[in-house]
Amino acid sequence: MALTTVHKIRDRVEKRPLELAAAREKGAKVVGWLSYAIPEEVITALGLIPIRIGTGGDTRLVEIGSRYISTKNCVFVREAVGLFAENKDPYIVNSDLVAFDAACLQLFRTAEVVEHYFKVNTLVLGVPRNFYWPEAKEYFWHELEHFVGKLEELAGVKLDPKRLAASIELYNGIRESIKELYRYQAGNNPLITWSQTYDVIHAGYYLDRAEYAALLRELLAELKDKQGEPVISHTYGEARIFLSGSVIPPKDHKLIDIIEQVGGRIVGDDLWSGLVPHLNVEIKEPTVKGIAYAYLSRVPHAALPYLDLKTDERLKNLKGLIGAFHAQGVINHTLRYCDPFTFKAGETKEQLKQIGIPMLEIHTEYAGSDFEAIRTRVEAFVEMLRNLDYQEAV
Amino acid sequence: MSKEKIYAGVDVGSLGTKALLLRGDTIISHGLIRTGIDTEENGRNVLKVALDNAGLQWEDLDYIVATGYGRISAPYANRTVTEITCHGKGAHFLHPKTRTIIDMGGQDCKAIRLDEDGNVNDFAMNDKCAAGTGRFLEVMAATFKVGLEELGPMALRAKEILPVSSTCTVFAESETVSLLARGENPDSIIKGIHHAIANRVAGMFSRVGVESDVFFSGGVAKNVGMKAALEEVLNARIVDPEYDPQLVGALGAAVLAKTYATREANNGANNRS
Repeated sequence: MALTTVHKIRDRVEKRPLELAAAREKGAKVVGWLSYAIPEEVITALGLIPIRIGTGGDTRLVEIGSRYISTKNCVFVREAVGLFAENKDPYIVNSDLVAFDAACLQLFRTAEVVEHYFKVNTLVLGVPRNFYWPEAKEYFWHELEHFVGKLEELAGVKLDPKRLAASIELYNGIRESIKELYRYQAGNNPLITWSQTYDVIHAGYYLDRAEYAALLRELLAELKDKQGEPVISHTYGEARIFLSGSVIPPKDHKLIDIIEQVGGRIVGDDLWSGLVPHLNVEIKEPTVKGIAYAYLSRVPHAALPYLDLKTDERLKNLKGLIGAFHAQGVINHTLRYCDPFTFKAGETKEQLKQIGIPMLEIHTEYAGSDFEAIRTRVEAFVEMLRNLDYQEAV
Repeated sequence: MSKEKIYAGVDVGSLGTKALLLRGDTIISHGLIRTGIDTEENGRNVLKVALDNAGLQWEDLDYIVATGYGRISAPYANRTVTEITCHGKGAHFLHPKTRTIIDMGGQDCKAIRLDEDGNVNDFAMNDKCAAGTGRFLEVMAATFKVGLEELGPMALRAKEILPVSSTCTVFAESETVSLLARGENPDSIIKGIHHAIANRVAGMFSRVGVESDVFFSGGVAKNVGMKAALEEVLNARIVDPEYDPQLVGALGAAVLAKTYATREANNGANNRS
């Protein structure tokens, strides 16, 4: 059964580049951003238009980017630089300022590169390496204050507390809707797949956020009407897979397509291009300080060092989501030279093994040369999960 | 009394295409040909070889499972299964105590862990490059102007290991040419090449672990020098193969053909009752 709202969202995304250009002609300012810790709440509250930029899967753009940034950076970063070099992506062309945060140091370097070579107006938000020390919270709060000050200059207005409170409410609504959407896609006999849900998340990178929030509510209402309240359980032979690891941005379909082609069912993720940014954001007061503290309490980016496996929030979150979505196995996707996620793969596998969850490591980049090798691995993993079902049944 | 069923496994690899026939639980025949361009034709041709060797016709086959990279072009098969699962079943059939498999084929290399029933419970595969594969050794054999089958004995003859730093096929080839030009002993260079590959394979085992008994499958498993290098680097004894290790994937596919045929027959009987 086709979901009308999914088509509607797709249509709206197709029209968005022209809308954005028209809005700028009328004086609107656009803030493109890359990375993990940029709070859109303040961008929207200042009347600026937030756009999350960056795509994947294009080896041509990677090659272009490699002329300006070392090939020892991941393909996502090199493609991002390629996008700026080519300057044809409508969201990059229409960005008045591009914000980066320093959670991933390769993206921090990207900011320097695009500013130097392409004279892009950039703004970098500093991120503490340790999320938990009081000094770190203090640092991030002041970094965010500085960041907001720069955005105020661009917007030509001061941050209004009432508008900030309204913006926080809007984003809280989006986050709750996305969490609910994930329950539907993981449910029995779902009308929406994980990959459709993932596309819906990416639509939220571009659409006007108030319109996006309304579309999410409409989609959930449609799902409730057609699918009923979701019941999440494991059905024999499903091969329920959880995706973890490096970013899988819009247009990077390689691994997702392979999993679906060989009959695996993706039921959840903890990707920073997926569900994770929408979890654990509890803004206790509608101020810059409140937002800074809330963002530090989210699931940390893997690039931030944390060595105590027993209290690692990233691993705790991963295990919690695996349980919530009744996943049987994890595919840990890492991009070549995305070292933070790659280096954590071994310990993650070991931790999951202790709770009886098998993990498959897929280390790749955007070139298609390893397509068949990856397909063999993913297919064997699906066979393995199905065989576990069979063994349990007999 | 009904005739015993014939099950076939076809393994279309990058360099060799293999087929094996089982009558019940007994291996009755096999075929092995060089892989050509037409993947489907390779599978059909090798099955014909195996059938001819057994004096059987295509119509005698009860169930076919295809595996290997060419499994995606096997419309003649009842089912396709990955070579990872098939090597597990094949090694378990030949040596039920197998818990770890090193599979080195024409274009890739795999570390596979098994449970006591021959089910795969973990695996790792080399990334992209040809290091540790049959293709790599073919290139090395050509560099030394010797047959592929001579590499293993040459490595065993060597009195020392001459370290070869690269496992990249292209770089290793040029490094080898330089060593030969310097007048180094060919046997020692070849032993160094085998050890470089073994060290790379050991990296894969850091992900999945090694547990005895260790079984070595795939075309490269015929290379005695490679077996010796792996035993030394992994610090584990590799069991002596009781059958051609290059046919383990096809054997596993035939074993699974029997499993699926039986399962489907039982499901059919249950549905009818």
